[in-house]
Amino acid sequence: MNHIIATEKLNLYYNDFHALKNISMQMRPNTVTALIGPSGCGKSTYLRLFNRMNDLIDGVKITGDVRVEGKDIYAKNTDVVELRRKVGMVFQKPNPFPKTIFENVAYGLRVNGINDNGFIKDKIEQSLVQAALWDEVKDKLNKSAFELSGGQQQRLCIARALAIEPSIILMDEPASALDPISTAKIEELIYELKENYTIVIVTHNMQQAGRVSDNTAFFYLGELIEYGETKEIFTNPKDKKTQNYITGRFG
Amino acid sequence: MTHLDKESQQLKADMIGMWNLVISQLNKTREALLNFDKDMAHEVVANEKRVNGNELKIDRDCENIFALFNPVAIDLRFTLAVLKINSNLERTGDMADGIGRFILNGNGPFDHELLKLTQVLHMYEEASSMLVDTLTAFEHENTKIARSIFKRDEILNQINIISIKVVTEYIQAHPENTEQALIILSIIRKLERVGDHCKNIAEEIIFYIEAKVLKHASKKQKAE
Amino acid sequence: MEWPKNTERNKNLRQVIAFTSFKLLSYAVVMILFLILAQIIYKGISVISWEFLTAMPEDGMTKGGIFPAIVGTFYLVLGSMVFAFPIGVLSAIYINEYTKDSFYKRFIKLMTNSLAGIPSIVFGLFGMTLFVNTLGFGDSILAGSLTLGLLTLPVVIRTTEEALKSVDDSFRHGGYALGATKLQTIRRVVLPIAFPNIITGLILSIGRVSGETAPILFTVAAYFLPKLPTGIFDQVMALPYHLYVISTSGTNVAESQPIAYGTALVLIMIVLLVNIAANTLRRYLGKKVKMN
Repeated sequence: MNHIIATEKLNLYYNDFHALKNISMQMRPNTVTALIGPSGCGKSTYLRLFNRMNDLIDGVKITGDVRVEGKDIYAKNTDVVELRRKVGMVFQKPNPFPKTIFENVAYGLRVNGINDNGFIKDKIEQSLVQAALWDEVKDKLNKSAFELSGGQQQRLCIARALAIEPSIILMDEPASALDPISTAKIEELIYELKENYTIVIVTHNMQQAGRVSDNTAFFYLGELIEYGETKEIFTNPKDKKTQNYITGRFG
Repeated sequence: MTHLDKESQQLKADMIGMWNLVISQLNKTREALLNFDKDMAHEVVANEKRVNGNELKIDRDCENIFALFNPVAIDLRFTLAVLKINSNLERTGDMADGIGRFILNGNGPFDHELLKLTQVLHMYEEASSMLVDTLTAFEHENTKIARSIFKRDEILNQINIISIKVVTEYIQAHPENTEQALIILSIIRKLERVGDHCKNIAEEIIFYIEAKVLKHASKKQKAE
Repeated sequence: MEWPKNTERNKNLRQVIAFTSFKLLSYAVVMILFLILAQIIYKGISVISWEFLTAMPEDGMTKGGIFPAIVGTFYLVLGSMVFAFPIGVLSAIYINEYTKDSFYKRFIKLMTNSLAGIPSIVFGLFGMTLFVNTLGFGDSILAGSLTLGLLTLPVVIRTTEEALKSVDDSFRHGGYALGATKLQTIRRVVLPIAFPNIITGLILSIGRVSGETAPILFTVAAYFLPKLPTGIFDQVMALPYHLYVISTSGTNVAESQPIAYGTALVLIMIVLLVNIAANTLRRYLGKKVKMN
């Protein structure tokens, strides 16, 4: 089994609206997969399948198979809390909790029942280092997370997600609310994190998809139009719609 | 180092590899010519496939960098320069291949007096060292070395121009060697082309490092 | 193409007139408030003394202090809050965090909103029927507190709900995404953020409760009771009711007028202090939440 994430003939409905149509797609471990497509094409919905964030929305119905590490995560006996520990998520808008920097990263550990302070301390340092934030915050761990800049806040959110040792990280337009420099930092970070994690990223920014991802999936009107190596998609897309979208001729 | 830096560095390494391959191709044809070594000439012709393969790979890498990273400023100039240098080197490789084929078709060792009269070996030295110097200029981003190339191309042009007269005289004196004299003349033509490619490469290097366009510029402008 | 004629003449003049009239109206509101305050302070300040605050009423409430009324009001506020806070906050959490947008949720909202609109005298009557008579608490602090609690429950629910609603969903999603359960997310993320606003709502409802007369009329308030209560089944005097009594049906309405103004002043001061406390606390907690 070489796929860490896979969907098979997946359909998703918001009440009567058919939001994802028959999506079959697999992702390998330690790759970055970019989901691109015009607004409302279903890419964010698709992303949120893998940590079952769609459960929070009323009227969502799913048919088909969603597998994470080989397990059907929509099976009846799935422990959603456990799943979300394994599948971390970073949101569009940096959303640190109104707590100290330290407590933000510690949060995920605490809610998962870890109270060993020595362990928490080490884990926080490790996560912040991984998120390329340690040097900037090591002297102010007890300051409010709100004192950080937007880009730093987003890296804090990444550190927060890393602390609970997920194997997969979902990113929903993680840089769309940030300035170019912060965006570049996040992109570099994604490139480095690939070594230890599998990353799925939704982005509106085609260049970003090109820079950070190994594979790209193009969604349009709830359908998976094309999925393949990012190099292929960006130099020689097979589908006319993909070509039109990535060249900015529609979308 | 950013992701793009890493890709650029890899591209640069591949480019240097291509360069060395072409230099060795050219040097081998010199050996083959001097010693009428058909095995060596054969090797050169066989290796042409590798040169072409390298060219395709570098082209594809450049295409990917353009498509995926949208390079700007020095990154953009670097990638553009690599793309063009690549095609110049491939053409230089073609020259070596052509020379190799001439030698393979030759029917006996070349007359050393002919080689001496036409200064073809001198051309070889010059062309080969120009290639090496462009490589050094590229590798170390040294535009001073790149600028020195323009003058040295003149030497090759000079030898090329007088070669017609030299070869004509030689044929009149040694009509039995007409065929090999014509081969040498063709080789001289090809070596002169190598010089032109080196000049183009030098222009690209200066463009990449200094953002100056020297194509079609006068000699004075180039010297600056 | 010719630009159409500008029909909006004297734009600037109109602007000035509109702006000035809005300004004057808003000043008028403040003025009225100040007039009321000034009148009460002017007439009431003379009777305010340490003795007035700490002594029992005497001579048919024409002399002496209002101590039992202050204590009574304090007990009633405390009692009603003990009843209304936990129930109100927990129901608000349930309504806002747990129920999905369904008929049931809308029904609860309609009910709480209607409850808030019921005149307070109706609460008084209801409290008398249920607590005083049916449950047999008699006229007592318990019955009065429960009645006041009922009255303030919708306010507590609504302010808490608003406070919870103002917490951005991204915080909740951030919590869930880290493997927190709903309860953990509410307890560790949502409530700390909403806390300052919840507290403010609660304090404001204290202000409201301390000034209510009608609900305590039939359930707890004593006309004249110059002693302190000893248990929750005792009757007490209360500031608003005391004020009502001595200015309408006292033994000598004219003679007890200064005491009435004094009582009014004390009541207003309490409400004012509570409001200031609410604001200070919110600001302080708001900062603290950011820090932690």
